[in-house]
Amino acid sequence: MVSGKPSNLKSFKSSKNFNFILIFLCLALVFLGKLDLIAIRNIKAFFSDFLAPATFALNKPVKEIAGVFEDVKSAGSLREENIRLKSEVRKLRVINSKSSSQELELLELRQLLKVLPEEKNKIITGRAITAPGGVFANTVLINAGKDYGIKVGHPAISSLGLVGYVVNVGLKTSRILLLIDINSMIPAYLTNSNWPAVVQGQSGNLLKIKFLSSKAEPIDGEVVQTSGHGGRLPPGINIGKIVKSFSGKFYVKPVVDFQRLTFISVITNKSSESFSSKTFEGFAPLQKPKPSINLKGLNLSGKRIIEGTEN
Amino acid sequence: MNTLFFVFLFCILNFQISLSFFSIFETSTPSLISLVIYFFIVRFNIHPSSIILLITGFLHDIMIGNNIGITPIFLLLFKYFTNNLILEKVSKDNQDEWIYFTIIFILSFSIVFLINLIISFSLPKLSPIFFHVGITLILYPLINISINLFSFVSRLIKS
Repeated sequence: MVSGKPSNLKSFKSSKNFNFILIFLCLALVFLGKLDLIAIRNIKAFFSDFLAPATFALNKPVKEIAGVFEDVKSAGSLREENIRLKSEVRKLRVINSKSSSQELELLELRQLLKVLPEEKNKIITGRAITAPGGVFANTVLINAGKDYGIKVGHPAISSLGLVGYVVNVGLKTSRILLLIDINSMIPAYLTNSNWPAVVQGQSGNLLKIKFLSSKAEPIDGEVVQTSGHGGRLPPGINIGKIVKSFSGKFYVKPVVDFQRLTFISVITNKSSESFSSKTFEGFAPLQKPKPSINLKGLNLSGKRIIEGTEN
Repeated sequence: MNTLFFVFLFCILNFQISLSFFSIFETSTPSLISLVIYFFIVRFNIHPSSIILLITGFLHDIMIGNNIGITPIFLLLFKYFTNNLILEKVSKDNQDEWIYFTIIFILSFSIVFLINLIISFSLPKLSPIFFHVGITLILYPLINISINLFSFVSRLIKS
């Protein structure tokens, strides 16, 4: 209870003991929570669902004010920003014209090589309710839960790349553990050299690279993507770029700005549901030719048939 | 009174979390809740109940996805140290208050940090933690001056 200064020594001592009992109770809860018991997970999910509307309502005004401040701040550098964006657009146009022709070529080559079809993922997008404001935890709550088929372990992405993965799901909300959290470990690979590694958060802006071969030579600015090892996350999602620190150590700088997360998408079915054996046309020796209309004098591959030499 | 106090603490916690939307608090946010509790105990002689602190702490942990129990331990330790270190020793000199707040805050935070270290088995980057402690300690005199100014103005108006 809210009370004045403790009047007698006895009650003060008993309250002191009570305080200690509560501290030990909490300590036990901390270790119990670390065991990842389903009951504790469910309680967390239930309260997250319950508190979500209040949290959203209380956070909204501050978020709006922060947005106004950011707008005012960026207004000062509008001219420089405009020049930078124009040059970026010019570069992107050149890249775009090249990539469209390369994409067609890639598709043709894939068809020729009978590469396994890529899984089409179902994506659910939710709004971030909270900001990652903890000292010890970096998580975000989104307003989509079990109702939309989200499960623990599903990867969360933004338009720029990987945000993290789902660690707790309620009926209406899901909690996403961000890449930068100390408990987050993602199997990744360096795109230039193909070396696999594991990137671990360290509650800061940069990610630590672990289990990278001593033979690997990371390049400053090299893109790091998910490797898909372990089968939990799909391969090829952007994580960040390699940066070299003053001490000569290499880190990964995430592409996602975790403070500006508004919408987060969760990939909900990266399972084998989308893979159908009926549509798959691999394994060349067993495949049957597709029934198609043949033009007279041409074979299936479009070559001219000379009578008598067909075989 | 209890309900009101709990609602007030809950709002402060939410405000504290949402401060990370500001780019200045990108690294981490200040611990407004500890400032509020300290002012309530030392300045206004209002002692929040341990149960209220426990519930508020649990809610905070759930909201930010912390390990359940970390914030209640911090709040309970903070209250315990404030009651035991401050009430007998502190004079009404503001500088003393600030020094005691620094000692209590760092002591409580260090214990909680140690527990977290044991749980996660790895050392996090220390810059957000230093920022969190630093910004909280800097905010103390600012809030103190604001309270003094407010009480001075209100007394002036009354007279």
